[in-house]
Amino acid sequence: MRRRGARPFFLLPLLFLFLLPSSARSDTDDYLAELKKTAEQRRLQDDRYWDILLFYKPAAGGRKSLIDDPKFFLAPGGKRDPGAELSATLDAMFDNSFLPPARCRFPARYEWLRETLRIDPARFPAPECPELDNTLRAINPKSASLIFASGHMNAPASMFGHTFLRLDGDYESPLLSYAVNYAATINRKDSGIAYALKGIFGYYPGHYSILPYYAKVREYAAMDQRDLWEYRTNLTKTEVRRMTLHILELQGIYADYYFLDENCSYDLLFLLEAARPSVTLTDRHKGFFVAPIDTLRSTLAEGLIDNVVFRPSAARTIRHNAAEAGATEVALAKSLASGDVAPSTVVEGSLPPQGKARVLDLASDFTNYLFLKREIPKDAYQGRYLGILAARSTVAGPPPESRPLPVPAPPESGHLVSRASLAGGARDGHSFLEIAYRPAYHSLEDPVEGFNDGSQIVFAEAAVRWYPGDEKIRLQRLDLIDIVSLAPRDAFFRPVSWKVQTGFATREFPDDVEALVYALNPGGGFAWKVSPFWIAFLLAETDLAISGRYDRSFALGMGGSAGIARQVSDTWGLLGQARYIYGVLGDREQGRRFTASVKVPVRLSRNRSLVLDGEHAEGPSVHAGTIRLTWNAHF
Amino acid sequence: MKKLLVMVAALSIFAASYASANQMNTGCGVGTLIFQDTKDQSTLVQVVAMTTNGTFMNTFGVTTGTSECKQPSKVVSNERLNEFVQANLDELARDISAGKGETLSTVAELMGVPAGDREAFNGKLQANFHQIFPTPGVEYAHVVDTIVSVSNQG
Repeated sequence: MRRRGARPFFLLPLLFLFLLPSSARSDTDDYLAELKKTAEQRRLQDDRYWDILLFYKPAAGGRKSLIDDPKFFLAPGGKRDPGAELSATLDAMFDNSFLPPARCRFPARYEWLRETLRIDPARFPAPECPELDNTLRAINPKSASLIFASGHMNAPASMFGHTFLRLDGDYESPLLSYAVNYAATINRKDSGIAYALKGIFGYYPGHYSILPYYAKVREYAAMDQRDLWEYRTNLTKTEVRRMTLHILELQGIYADYYFLDENCSYDLLFLLEAARPSVTLTDRHKGFFVAPIDTLRSTLAEGLIDNVVFRPSAARTIRHNAAEAGATEVALAKSLASGDVAPSTVVEGSLPPQGKARVLDLASDFTNYLFLKREIPKDAYQGRYLGILAARSTVAGPPPESRPLPVPAPPESGHLVSRASLAGGARDGHSFLEIAYRPAYHSLEDPVEGFNDGSQIVFAEAAVRWYPGDEKIRLQRLDLIDIVSLAPRDAFFRPVSWKVQTGFATREFPDDVEALVYALNPGGGFAWKVSPFWIAFLLAETDLAISGRYDRSFALGMGGSAGIARQVSDTWGLLGQARYIYGVLGDREQGRRFTASVKVPVRLSRNRSLVLDGEHAEGPSVHAGTIRLTWNAHF
Repeated sequence: MKKLLVMVAALSIFAASYASANQMNTGCGVGTLIFQDTKDQSTLVQVVAMTTNGTFMNTFGVTTGTSECKQPSKVVSNERLNEFVQANLDELARDISAGKGETLSTVAELMGVPAGDREAFNGKLQANFHQIFPTPGVEYAHVVDTIVSVSNQG
């Protein structure tokens, strides 16, 4: 009641504004001039927060914003002139002809200027922003989480993972939160090559988007089979509100998206800095490649994270439940999902209630998965899915007790991604020393903790070898790309395993000559888990080698490889494989080659490991064994 | 060196790129909205729409309309519940059939079911699965209405 009584007094100044439009107008102008002068004196254009809000970073001749959309700047040269942009922003805030009002379009800038310059609401009555208020009410941001989506092993573009933010409100259920995502807007008509080149050279626009979190859960956990790690930040309500205002002013604004550095992860760091400017996040990353895991690490290092929750992918859940159910129940669940067996058969069958529940739950999850993968059409799915669920609803009582799904090691527990190696060994009785370096990312012999078991992605690894005997130093190999994806097949999932390796490799030629050739080696096949720890694989391979030393300058061979991989314990493992290539085109004789190798990786610490390996190579110009001990350091 | 690395990256992403087919789902019932908010149609198409039509507020997916299918009669005021049920019909059906799950507890929260009554709520819904989801083409309005009436029964 007291509040209601006081209202007319607050309205009085407003009334005067209406009564005296001309004098109010000039008073506003005076006030604007005064504020601009204060801003100038305090050099607000050089304030760190202004840099954060406008994405300014040092560049030749001053500072330059990473945002490329002209709509984001109110001054014509605002991208490179923080001072002009600040002055134009103040002008715009006071200019009532702006639609929507600049205060509503750039609410984070306005809030900061209002607080920093102590803008007097009596002298500058800010316009209402009903749309902004509605959006803020709908999101109702109270706290925030950083979400890390792990890589999907069979899609290398995703292997590095992905990060996005989640704005959490008052709801208990995170499904009702909103996800804030930064992604490239890709033209779906582009071919793979165009996609890659445009992505790397910044030809796609990057945009922020806000979506319900349940949509992101479905996209990642259900459709893409990627686990989600939800890192709850300790950002306060005020900080999260500030960040949300900044996100809202980035709507419809683009920045050229660079897959390698100005990517999804890097740009989110600006939002976290806008929330809490005392943290240093964007300046921690200066390399040519910013991996999502690195941005997660810097966020952890700045003490922004309180705790983490693991949300397994649908595929991981199905695999776990299948392991709990046993072979007979799995077979029955599969027949239900394929429509070969009617759900009533299970309900009327002889299984105990818990077994029935297990089978029907597995069957419905798998049916849903098949539909998401578009392996069954909607018409067939609707009836089958609801049929299984209807049967399930008749099995009342408590849900089946099962062993909880084991939570894997979190991504930040993995080794750092750059690697330097020192090795010593002997080849055919000649001893050598070798050094190697690669900027990224993970290979099968590296400690697996925090990474996908069975997947390797190596980027630009160079090895230089020195044989003291002949006093020669040579480039032994330069792997541009070396990807291996061993995805085990099981009762439910039938993925294809594959590899692609390309780069320069040392090969042997007649008369004891060794030379560098360019080689391209793709392969595809299958992998199986033969026990909880053993993966066996069989791949068909093609091997193309190009060098002037070959007859007709190339050798194209076909063949295959078979091998096993095993993580024996937390500290050591075993990798063994045999590979045979038969020459089919070009220099068919020199194209023939057999190798057998064994590697024993030993983990010393998270970022240090030893690898003992032996290899035997057999071909028309080679009959040699190599043994080597390598020390790897990740940094 | 940097150029080389960039080339390497180009190759890797080339090896990686997938073209994903896109299909529009229309109509009502389970399986209808599954693909609605995936990257094909929202982060891509929606964002493109956002840059071309020049409006901003509603292109951020803060509120999704539920206009396509029939509206529920009893809880029209609870727009958040309607939207959530419509967008999560498949997951909700699964949870109700099993009498547990995150989607079901989210619905309970949106309906204001107290923590102590959740187990009974879940049990009632499970027992009435046939009424809530009578046919594959069931409209979400029917689902919401039936959940409300079933949960209000003694």
